[in-house]
Amino acid sequence: MLSAFVNAFRTPDLRKKILFTIFIVGIYRLGANLPSPGVSYDRVQTCVRAFEDQDSSGIGVFTLLNLFSGGALLQLSVFALGIMPYITASIIMQLLRVVIPRLELLQKEGQSGQAKITQYTRYLTLGLAVLQSSAFVALARSGQLFGGVQCENVIPERIDTGISDWIVVSTLVVTMTAGTGVIMWLGELITDRGIGNGMSTLIFCSIAAQLPSEGWRIQQTEGPAAFIALLGVAVLIITAVIFMELGQRRIPVQYAKRMIGRRMYGNTSTYIPLKINQAGVIPVIFASSLLYLPQLGLQFADDGTGDYGPFWTWVADNIARPSAPLYIVTYFLLIIFFTYFYVSITFNPNDVADNMKKYGGFVPGIRPGKPTAEYLDFVLSRITLAGSLYLAVVAVLPNFFFIYLDDQQFNNFPFGGTAVLIMVGVGLESVKQIESQLMQRNYEGFLR
Amino acid sequence: MSLSLRLKARFRRFLERPGTTVDLAPLSAQLPAVEARGEELTSLDDDELTEAATEAAGPIEISAIGREAAHRALGERAYDEQVLGVMSLLAGHVSEMATGEGKTLVACIAGYGHVRRGNGPVHVLTINDYLARRDAEWMAPVYRLLGMSVGWVTENSTREERREAYAKDVTYVSVSEAGFDYLRDQLVTDVADRVKPQLVTAIVDEADSILIDEARVPLVLAGSVTTELDPLHAATALVRELRPDVDYEVADDGRSVALTPQGTVTVEKAQGDIDLYADEYATQLFAVNVALHAHALVQRDVDYIVRNGAVELVDEFRGRVAQRRRWPDGLQAAVEAKEGLDATAEGEVLGTITIQSYLKLYPHVCGMTATAVLVGDQLREFFDLEVAVIPRHKPVIRTDEPDRLYASREERDEALVAEISACHAEGRPVLVGTQDVKESEALAVALRAVDVSCVVLNAKNDAEEAAIIAEAGTHEAVTVSTQMAGRGVDIRLGGSDQADWDRVADLDGLYVIGSGRHDSRRVDDQLRGRAGRQGDPGGSVFFVSLEDDLVVRHAADMIPSSPRIHADGLIDDSDVDYAVEHAQRVAEGVNFEIHRNTWRYHVVVEQQRQDLATWREELLTTDAALTLVDERLPAHLAEVEAKAAAEADAEAEAEAEAETETEADAEAEADAKAEAETEAEEAEPDPETDTDPEAEADELEEPEEPEESDESDESDEERELRARIARSIALFHLDRGWAEHLATLAEVREGVHLRALGRLDPLDEFHRAAVPAFTQLRDKIERRIVETYAEADISEDWQPADVNLLRPSATWTYLVHDNPFGSELERLVSSVSRRLGSRRR
Repeated sequence: MLSAFVNAFRTPDLRKKILFTIFIVGIYRLGANLPSPGVSYDRVQTCVRAFEDQDSSGIGVFTLLNLFSGGALLQLSVFALGIMPYITASIIMQLLRVVIPRLELLQKEGQSGQAKITQYTRYLTLGLAVLQSSAFVALARSGQLFGGVQCENVIPERIDTGISDWIVVSTLVVTMTAGTGVIMWLGELITDRGIGNGMSTLIFCSIAAQLPSEGWRIQQTEGPAAFIALLGVAVLIITAVIFMELGQRRIPVQYAKRMIGRRMYGNTSTYIPLKINQAGVIPVIFASSLLYLPQLGLQFADDGTGDYGPFWTWVADNIARPSAPLYIVTYFLLIIFFTYFYVSITFNPNDVADNMKKYGGFVPGIRPGKPTAEYLDFVLSRITLAGSLYLAVVAVLPNFFFIYLDDQQFNNFPFGGTAVLIMVGVGLESVKQIESQLMQRNYEGFLR
Repeated sequence: MSLSLRLKARFRRFLERPGTTVDLAPLSAQLPAVEARGEELTSLDDDELTEAATEAAGPIEISAIGREAAHRALGERAYDEQVLGVMSLLAGHVSEMATGEGKTLVACIAGYGHVRRGNGPVHVLTINDYLARRDAEWMAPVYRLLGMSVGWVTENSTREERREAYAKDVTYVSVSEAGFDYLRDQLVTDVADRVKPQLVTAIVDEADSILIDEARVPLVLAGSVTTELDPLHAATALVRELRPDVDYEVADDGRSVALTPQGTVTVEKAQGDIDLYADEYATQLFAVNVALHAHALVQRDVDYIVRNGAVELVDEFRGRVAQRRRWPDGLQAAVEAKEGLDATAEGEVLGTITIQSYLKLYPHVCGMTATAVLVGDQLREFFDLEVAVIPRHKPVIRTDEPDRLYASREERDEALVAEISACHAEGRPVLVGTQDVKESEALAVALRAVDVSCVVLNAKNDAEEAAIIAEAGTHEAVTVSTQMAGRGVDIRLGGSDQADWDRVADLDGLYVIGSGRHDSRRVDDQLRGRAGRQGDPGGSVFFVSLEDDLVVRHAADMIPSSPRIHADGLIDDSDVDYAVEHAQRVAEGVNFEIHRNTWRYHVVVEQQRQDLATWREELLTTDAALTLVDERLPAHLAEVEAKAAAEADAEAEAEAEAETETEADAEAEADAKAEAETEAEEAEPDPETDTDPEAEADELEEPEEPEESDESDESDEERELRARIARSIALFHLDRGWAEHLATLAEVREGVHLRALGRLDPLDEFHRAAVPAFTQLRDKIERRIVETYAEADISEDWQPADVNLLRPSATWTYLVHDNPFGSELERLVSSVSRRLGSRRR
């Protein structure tokens, strides 16, 4: 793989693409750290530190969002919203297609129609960005953004600055909205002229950007030994994840449409790759989002006295505490359930069988149509068992660290599994793309 | 252009809206200079003009001289608009110029200009042979005056004539001939056989048609391979008995067909209770599939016509017979079987290049057409070309009426006939554009039934095309045509001599009626463009029925159940209007998608082709093959010897073993012998070397001998002979290797979209297969060359096994979406909505 990178840098065209991607990522990180106008940098830093040091029982709902924005959200920086508005907008547009037939028609019109839908998605993104930034600014002003942490108001009041509030607030909203627009553009630039899918690359960078500071914190609080052990475990996990992510079962397919003399060419080239982890990272996100609900409930139940009543105390001890056995077991089972659920939704054996039949393809020895669909279903449900167990294990592993490293310290770790899965997924994708572009460009000395 | 307009254009460009075009203002600003220079030129005599022509450099000088030369040679002085066209061609754009605006002259002056600016020779690429020859001969006097030589190539040109034509400054040739000449040159086995078109500048006539519609059509050189016809004939007979929708189903988009489970059972029974999908019956399955395709999807007089006992393909965009085009992969044979014709030899692809890749070989490409703006984005994406919209010399006064929609085909045809006979009664000339040959003939019958005399122009009588078109504008003329009349023909009002111009013009000129919208707005616009040339009066209208293929395929579920209908069957409902337009946009989108996919998958193959062509060139023009053979032969022989020795050992051992065992068990002997035999076969598949090792060694020394003497005193003749044989062996294996490689890639391509299911990018996966396969190709070819050379008898005049080269054919493209299942999110949404039961299926 290293040689691939060296080669990539030797190919001018590819080098340009990689450097361009790095350049864009640099801009993205810069914007993620650039404080928005009207926000007190010192106070934000104090608040974030206080937030990170607090008890895990007070984990905010925004942790996931914060993770995806690379820590920019809590910093209230220019790119505070990250690319979440764009992702949300894409999902909404997809859903709208079911409701609004015109959109479905546009989609069918191919290139020009899809370009229009993309344009609508962009507008929607900006709309969402206005909503979200207003909400976050309001939360920040009321002090709720940092959960229960007591710290000074990050957006100084008029009394301190002499600038009227509505100017500050509207400037903030406009800045963050514009920031979202810029992120959207950066993402598209990477997709068009760089390496990999822009959106995934930016998410990858957001998550990766937090690793050094997290690592450093562990080194500070737990000492070098724990830190090195953690590194070792991380390498092991990443290796295992890569291994599993690349695992696939290949179902051979033959096409009986062309007749080339008497000759039949190698059948091995045509197959359906069924991945062990056919569902990707989504089931983990679903499961952990669901497990946030009890925590959210806790926050509402908190009347400030610290006494929730017996039910909520039980919840706090068993379901909202990542190191509790019940939490871990629930998490594990939820992931398995969601994996099956998601695979059954996104991989429809009937559609695949229909498509194969339509173009004259068949699995050798199995009739096209229903028998093929049943066969695919059979293989898929078995391979998904392995996949779901793997996902669950990877996702649950960090929770054991909680038990080992006396709890409370690592807020961002509930997403340890998610983060690794996302990063490995995106990383593999980018490396594959580099490889394939390399392949296109030099033929390893075919003509010396 | 005013400042505000310019700003607006910039802004549109900034927003990347479609339809952005080149700013003509800088070019227009030069017109007065051209005019002034032109006046100076009038004082020169012809010789002086020719001399000035050979010295011209800048676009102003070129335009002025070109204009003056055309004026003297043809009596036609180029309008300012034409000069703009010339200048935008020189700048390397696609000029959009309406019908009758004099594109031929523009191409001529631009061709001269490109040569003058050092970008010669210039090829003017036309859509057919007829136009190539006509334009070249028409413009010859202008070229003569400009001091340029001009030539043309048609299908019937001999190799000598081609070579001569390509040596001229400007060559008129149809794009497919030019492409085939290039491909043939790539596959010659003797340098002297080349016709050597030099690819520098291409001026593409009907640019949207060639650059976009045809771009994805591969030009294919194929050698003949015999197809097994027995299963095909059996399958053809069998398929004829199958019932649509019961035994087989045609997909909604009409591009694919498959057996239903019931049909499968029927077929299996008829073939003697076989399992069609078991490995051993692969041939039967192939035959049934391809026969079914020919039976259900390929229609006589729509997709092809039968003429002189042969199947001839009809080009879907132009309605003409596609010269020398064949369906691949056994489909041609299946159609021939369906029509009960003799099968022509099946092709195996030897070399292929898409028209797009071919055009990419020209460093300079520019073009002209009447409909470019609609494909502006595609021209930019695929060719990096910008569109320059040249204003008309006279404004168009044609009236384009809104579509007339009818619920059923019968109602539409009735209304169509009524409309035509009404016009005919008035004396107004009518040109009817129908969808296909079959329809044109049916309409002609219907018209004659109501006593309207009409002329039919379709692929079947294309020989009379020029004569029919010449008279299409006369009083009372009714011409029923296919898309053939839609492009490149110039219909003058009042007949060829324009005698009746006034009378016809008083009747509002030519009336163009389309029976149904085409798959692309450009085709519709081209058809409309037949009326109203050069400011003539004219009219156009389309009669659409909701049963038209276009509507049924792409908008069937959008038609409201009870649209508003007038008493005469005319539908007046904006929802229906929208549905028809939508259907057309979908069809355009589909074609674009096919084009883009074909191209994306073709890029690497094209690179590989060029790489291999470089190597082939080396083998062809130098003694590289001999050097290779001399280098590798000793090693190869040693290997063969070692193998033979090992094999002899194995045999002896086996025999010895067998002998000892004879006494013990007679049966074991037979086993052992059989085993030894198979072992021997596996070790050395070549029966020739399967002799006793000593004799073999003698034999093998033969080719080694000349090599040893090579260092000392091999005669030039001997060496020459060996070089020639090595070369022809090398070229043979290279071409074969490439043909096999192409077949492998075609195979990979077919199913690669399935990889998307594993969240892999199909294109990347294709490269992942294509690139390593190619890297191994050179090794494989070299090995084969050495092997064959080792076995070749040097003294004789060695010939590779007879492969008939040079049988052109074309490929049948069908839609394989890159990811037919949609993105994960799309699958999610559609699956959820399906579960909610809110949608069909």
